[in-house]
Amino acid sequence: MSTRRETPTQLAWKRLRKNTGAMVGIVILLLMVLGAVAAPLITPFSPTTQILEYAVQPAGFRGSVLYRTNPSNPGAPSVIAVQDFAVRGDSVYYTDPAGEPYRLALTSLAGRDSTEWHARPLFLLGTDRFGRDMFTRLVYGMRVSLTVGLISQGIALLIGIVLGSIAGYFRGWIDDVVMWLVNVVWSFPTLLLVVAFSVILGKGYWQTFVAIGISSWVDIARIVRGQFFAIREQEYIEATRALGYGSLRTMFRHMLPNAAGPVVVLATAGFATAIIAESSLSFIGLGVQPPDPSWGQMIKDGYGYIALGTNWGMTLFPSAAMATAVIALNLFGDGLRDALDPKTSQR
Amino acid sequence: MSTSNPAPASRWIHVGVTLLRAVVAPRKLAYTLLVLLGVVMVTFFIRPPGDPARVLLGQRADSTSVAALRQKLGLDQPVPIQMLRYVQNLGRGDLGRSIATDRPVLDTILERLPATALLAVSSMILATLFGVLLGVIAAWKANSWIDTVTMSTSLFGISLPAFVVGLLMVLVFGVALEWFPNSGYIDRGLPYLVLPMITLAIRPLSIIARMTRSSMLDVLGQDYIRTARAKGLSYVAVFMKHALRNALNPVVTTVSAWFAGLLAGTYFIEYIFNWPGIGLAAFNAIEKLDYPMIQGTVLLTAVVFVATNTVADALYAVLDPKVRIQS
Repeated sequence: MSTRRETPTQLAWKRLRKNTGAMVGIVILLLMVLGAVAAPLITPFSPTTQILEYAVQPAGFRGSVLYRTNPSNPGAPSVIAVQDFAVRGDSVYYTDPAGEPYRLALTSLAGRDSTEWHARPLFLLGTDRFGRDMFTRLVYGMRVSLTVGLISQGIALLIGIVLGSIAGYFRGWIDDVVMWLVNVVWSFPTLLLVVAFSVILGKGYWQTFVAIGISSWVDIARIVRGQFFAIREQEYIEATRALGYGSLRTMFRHMLPNAAGPVVVLATAGFATAIIAESSLSFIGLGVQPPDPSWGQMIKDGYGYIALGTNWGMTLFPSAAMATAVIALNLFGDGLRDALDPKTSQR
Repeated sequence: MSTSNPAPASRWIHVGVTLLRAVVAPRKLAYTLLVLLGVVMVTFFIRPPGDPARVLLGQRADSTSVAALRQKLGLDQPVPIQMLRYVQNLGRGDLGRSIATDRPVLDTILERLPATALLAVSSMILATLFGVLLGVIAAWKANSWIDTVTMSTSLFGISLPAFVVGLLMVLVFGVALEWFPNSGYIDRGLPYLVLPMITLAIRPLSIIARMTRSSMLDVLGQDYIRTARAKGLSYVAVFMKHALRNALNPVVTTVSAWFAGLLAGTYFIEYIFNWPGIGLAAFNAIEKLDYPMIQGTVLLTAVVFVATNTVADALYAVLDPKVRIQS
């Protein structure tokens, strides 16, 4: 034991830092969060921009495009696929990839000269069947996945902590009722419960958050309840009673922090499960709806091409993205568990 | 460890009797029924939001046909009455009629149960055999390259959702290598079972392997192992006889608990491989919002889940004297 006083959090961080897997996980997660936040800056298009002429292109494809001002949405110019173009007078004459000639007024293009309104952007991961940039959709899909994880775990934490605390603190019939609820929810495989709640709530963004959130609080409730059971009889909790503290203050100020470690570990694992659940839902057509990008949906779109034996990237890239996110979360979660509870680090 | 070592046959009879007693103990049984009541209440509410009749027929449908469907589905009754009817019907073994096919849901489920059971059981056997084997090898050669490879591969197995593993299987072994057919049922030949079976087994296999390894390492660190070694017994004998037997106790629970989880996994696997089981029926029902069918399949899965978990808990108590004494 060192003589310097270190808080448990500092000690845990020290142990976490020595864990290579956990550090790799953290770095990947940070990069993903950064990418999701900076999505508009690092992607060449909007996730819903369709260039039908450039549909189903392989990774690394470059296509010539003109940007035309979009009166309804000045931030996202519409994109026109062109073979070549020439400026004559106040018009630009271009041929589309099929060779059809067209004319456009220069003033309708987004930008002052051809360096601004013409480009040959790189479709890093190719395009999907609507000619949407796969890389762009992958990055925006990451936004969706991370948001789903964050919000659904927020909901799960809220329900789990509240129910777990009151069950563990008050015991008796309250505990019986909460545990009955836990056992009922426990009776369904998580993914199936998420599907069931999605049918009940309907399709969509928010419905998906809620469906996943209310399916994944049981583990948290059980852990919090267990911790409360264990520490309720300790002297310092008795002391809070002697001091006349209210139940709420004792529960949330003095007991809950002791359960924080395992709860954080569970929430990390739940985050990974939420990402899987969201993509599973969108894969079967529930969950996030088109044209909003989602990894599960992209995988489903690509699935049709697998049987044809072409364009594997359409399935592989979103699958790899999801696997990376989930593995990073698992590595981080494992490291966190070992760091917070050195006793179990053998496992 | 018990000092007396009963003959194998009588030991298993003892296990069976204790197990039966634990499962049908009145208090335990009553509680299980209470939980099942809650499960039924949840499945009752699985229906499209708003007015299901309107959702099913579409916005253009005229109000008379909507009212007719509402009456046919019993939706014109107050919710408590509907729920009571639902429970009563369940008591008679009536799971309602499918909206899409107008067949009794139970008939469809019974018809498709063998396909799902075949898939689940064969996957579980595969997962258990290879999971325990890999876990034992990893523990035997702990911290060697083979341990590292097994454990990092299993991390992938745990992290990838079933449908992604399924697609990768189709891609590699179905399309690229053309070793196995990538869609269809076993009635067309045994090869049709291979890809869905392996896909479904990957996750439990990974978990069982990790579980076996950590449980083995736990046991190998115990004093009685050192005692056995000190007596002069060979490492192999100690490993196989003393360590493995005890290490497998938690694994047995994992296996039985995972069997239940597999049933949910079959949903996605059946969808991807076009395997005509309950999961495929459920997904087709989800697409059509055929909610009596969804309710039936979800209820069945939950009941099997509860039943296997009850057995798993009891089995754990029987196998581990420490748990038995505590409870």
